Amino acid sequence: MGVLEKIVETGNYSFIDGEGVTWQEAVRLSTLPMIKSGTVSEDYYKQIVACIEKYGPYVVFEHNIAMPHTQENATGALKTGIGFMASKKLIDFGEDEDGEKKEANVFFTLSSTNPDEHLDNISQLTEIFLNDPLIDALAKATSPEDILEAAKKYPCEE
Amino acid sequence: MAKKLDNKKILACCANGAGSSLMMENAIKKVLTRNGIKVAELRHAPISEGKTASRNYDVVFCAKTFVNTFEGVEASGTVLIPLKNVMSDKEIEAALAERGLLD
Repeated sequence: MGVLEKIVETGNYSFIDGEGVTWQEAVRLSTLPMIKSGTVSEDYYKQIVACIEKYGPYVVFEHNIAMPHTQENATGALKTGIGFMASKKLIDFGEDEDGEKKEANVFFTLSSTNPDEHLDNISQLTEIFLNDPLIDALAKATSPEDILEAAKKYPCEE
Repeated sequence: MAKKLDNKKILACCANGAGSSLMMENAIKKVLTRNGIKVAELRHAPISEGKTASRNYDVVFCAKTFVNTFEGVEASGTVLIPLKNVMSDKEIEAALAERGLLD
């Protein structure tokens, strides 16, 4: 099973409008379904926020993709998993070290307790992040069916 | 024919050693395979560990954000390569070529 199918199966997905939502709040919102599924604790998001505040928005990649995460076996990471969130509006993460604006509308929030499983997740996510039509479709998703349909329509090579 | 990066040690670093450094490692792996290079070691680490460990590596990759952390490492002969896009094998390949490390 691919990571997108697994996200749907575990219920780790959410869809927001994003109007007026700060990046800190967006990170928290992305963990809500993960709390419900027992993947992370209620406080887990605070560590991610602290990390981004310390190092800057390096977790925001090209194509408005955010991958909020902390270290392996972080306190509050209860299972290895990925939380998907699509936001209608771009969430502002501020500027990077080059003064470039960082914004995201697709979130893949990570939790890791098992290095092998986590590595597999990262490898699959990399392929997804480089798959432009798939990311475009995921950004517009408003239901779990949309996620599955996008995965089917724009498969990754590996 | 032996390649310049054969038997070298490469390290990929990010803040936590759990996200972007893994992506870098994957992308670096692609570049090495594509160019028929067999390195002695390729691994990823968090900044906290990488900072001291970096001297023991020939090439260290990090996201641009962390470049200041590694200030001075090049004095010990380590090549430091900051990346704009941590999952771009093309950027990694270009960066290595620019430094004359691909042949």
